[in-house]
Amino acid sequence: MNGKYKKFPVGIKYLICVIFSAAAIILGIGIGSVFISPDEIAAVLANKIFGIDLPEKVTDITAAIIMNVRLPRVLCAFIVGAGLSAGGAVMQSVLSNPLASGYTLGVSSGASLGVTLTVFFGITFFGAFTLPLMGFIFGFATVLTAVAAASRFDRNTGSATIILIGMVMSLFVNAAVTLLMGINRDAAKSVIYWQMGSFSGQDLTTAAIIFPITLVTILIVMRYSIAMDLMTFGDEQAMSAGVNIKSAKILLLILSSALTGTAVAFVGTIGFIDLIAPHAVRKVFGSRHKIVIPMSAVTGGGFMVISDLLARTVIAPVELPVGAVTAIIGAPVFAYIFLKKRK
Amino acid sequence: MLEIKNLNAGYNGKQVLFDISFGLEFGRSLSVIGPNGCGKTTLLKCIAHLMDFEGNITLSGVSLKGLGRRELASRVAVMSQLNVTYFPYSIYDTVMLGRFSHLKPGIFTGNPQKADFEAVDESIKAVGLTELRDRQIDTLSGGQLQRVFLARVLAQNPQIILLDEPTNHLDLKHQLELIDYIKDWVEKGKEKRAVIGVFHDMNIALRLTQNVLLMDNGKVGKMGDFSEIADSEYLENLFGINVVSYMSENSKLWESMKNA
Repeated sequence: MNGKYKKFPVGIKYLICVIFSAAAIILGIGIGSVFISPDEIAAVLANKIFGIDLPEKVTDITAAIIMNVRLPRVLCAFIVGAGLSAGGAVMQSVLSNPLASGYTLGVSSGASLGVTLTVFFGITFFGAFTLPLMGFIFGFATVLTAVAAASRFDRNTGSATIILIGMVMSLFVNAAVTLLMGINRDAAKSVIYWQMGSFSGQDLTTAAIIFPITLVTILIVMRYSIAMDLMTFGDEQAMSAGVNIKSAKILLLILSSALTGTAVAFVGTIGFIDLIAPHAVRKVFGSRHKIVIPMSAVTGGGFMVISDLLARTVIAPVELPVGAVTAIIGAPVFAYIFLKKRK
Repeated sequence: MLEIKNLNAGYNGKQVLFDISFGLEFGRSLSVIGPNGCGKTTLLKCIAHLMDFEGNITLSGVSLKGLGRRELASRVAVMSQLNVTYFPYSIYDTVMLGRFSHLKPGIFTGNPQKADFEAVDESIKAVGLTELRDRQIDTLSGGQLQRVFLARVLAQNPQIILLDEPTNHLDLKHQLELIDYIKDWVEKGKEKRAVIGVFHDMNIALRLTQNVLLMDNGKVGKMGDFSEIADSEYLENLFGINVVSYMSENSKLWESMKNA
């Protein structure tokens, strides 16, 4: 009976989650038009990281496929999945709404607007990074506007107010995007392609940019684990237990928007991962955010790698938009997880 | 003691509380009674500083307005009506959340110390849930869930507990049990504890204490020992029905069953 409050409990469940994600990564690198076995993958990675000689049976072509195509893509998918999922878990707690996500606040529609403007006006200030940067800036600005408006209209910055204003902002910004797309059909094509979400053509630079942002943001967010636990019970409960709700809420919304915005900016709007991963994790581990945040990241990363794997293999060589894959699998899975009663 | 002086408060420009002043000694309880919309809940929210107010609220001479959230939470705790939760936590973890204001800051988040574990164990024991402590709260009955929230409030180890309709959704047995836990809690720490409860059910209110604040349209109507301050006419004016004859009719019914 004693010692039930474990500080960082380790157990078989954690191992399964980590193994699931590791397996997803190995499968993601291995499967494709050319099959690469796990030992070949290990050999190439050992060669690149530790300088160990490549065995003879592993060709340079195999090494090139891993290092230039598959690995960057899988890493991007994993980090994006991790960021979206951790961000979703934070939003759900802060707004004490299990259906909240980064999209609720208009991150994705804001990012869409940024991308549309970039394409529409042919903006190229930042070279190859123009598109993601504009996506991030506009996504983030949309959230800031929503939160600022909510805290202005509602003294307590109530969750219902934030959700309402976020959704209104979202619809409005989407309308602006549609308007721009209607004027310029060519731009519309690129915007729609971007919105569908894809990891194709990502290189290690993308991974190198989003990894530190995602990791650091997740670590900062985790400092507020217990405050987030309290916030799931609603604002007044959290306040009366000692949480400075207004500052905690605004900070956490900004951090989680940064997580979602970073992910979305590079690969487009991919939905449902940020709902499924946190909910699946809560079913298995309970709701304590000290566990939910990191495990959502690990599991969500794995889910995303699997989704991307399906997107590029199911009807190869045609590649499906990964956002469509996550939604088609995600919607029924989410309904099942959410509606199934706990034992 | 808790002292409230010239308290004025409202929402969106509409004043709800008008110049409320009263005091409550440690070791005592107070039941706040009044019709819908008289400002009972608003009064509790002001004391817990969940909303802005004008005037002064002090506890042992310290103004509650000037305290940070954590400091305030270690002095005043609120137990509100049963809330539905979509996020599963174990009973133990839920009660541990009551220790938030006492936790020592750690690298990621406060880590519970020995005193925290002991407080949680005691609180769970006090509400009789020790056997169920690992159960998830979304599997509990309304009565059990309400006891979990009471345990969380006890674990917070405050000086003042504010109860906002705590017995809504509870059956008679659990209503009485809850009130008795609370009375017991005050009794065990007479020199440093007090309770203010807001109730619709006057019988439950009076079971907690005969020390009553009758609220009348955002003002202190009368305050003191119920049998001394209230008469049939006053209550009829306040509630718009003849409370005393309603209660005594019911009593007659129950009496007749006793004799049958």
